[in-house]
Amino acid sequence: MAEKLVLMVTKGPGDPELATVPFVMAAAALASDVEVVMGFQGPGVELVRRGVAETVAAPEFPPLAKLLADVRELGGQLLVCSPCIKSRGISATDDLVEGAQVVAAARFIAEVTSATNSLVY
Amino acid sequence: MTATLEELTTITAAKVVDARGAACPGPLLEAKKGMGTVSLGDTIEIWSTDPATKADIGAWSAKVGHEFLGALEAEGYDRVFVVRRK
Repeated sequence: MAEKLVLMVTKGPGDPELATVPFVMAAAALASDVEVVMGFQGPGVELVRRGVAETVAAPEFPPLAKLLADVRELGGQLLVCSPCIKSRGISATDDLVEGAQVVAAARFIAEVTSATNSLVY
Repeated sequence: MTATLEELTTITAAKVVDARGAACPGPLLEAKKGMGTVSLGDTIEIWSTDPATKADIGAWSAKVGHEFLGALEAEGYDRVFVVRRK
């Protein structure tokens, strides 16, 4: 995959549409042979908290749990902001969906600066 | 599009992907999966009730290197034809 797209996700379950759209874009990019890194910050980290995706659905879109499964199956990376989960009492070892990786700012910067394009939601 | 509507009606696809009822990006993901099951040069036919699918599959084909042949309207859905080229 020569191209890489980074999607920074900041909206949580309280905004189902903008929580869902980045997963749609990620899945479409992966289907188009583009490497995908999703970065979760702020309320966005709730989306990769175990069990939360199953509660989020936006009208006219597939349920978030389906899209999350698609993104993981197609090889998308899920990077999660370390201080953002700590402040919400989310355990890095017990509470995140399989495949989610806890990182800090420098990793996000490395991903964004090496990407072909980045989108912020 | 590289095929006329008349030509499209004569195509027998190697695989039919029934994505009717699926919301975006479902038809695209189903097309991607379906493409992986056919040989180079084979045609897949995607059925979709989402009117945006034919344009989306056209854009996807151009992006990844497949050949988008076009689409036919059926009763309540579109039949979208793509040739695997890579």
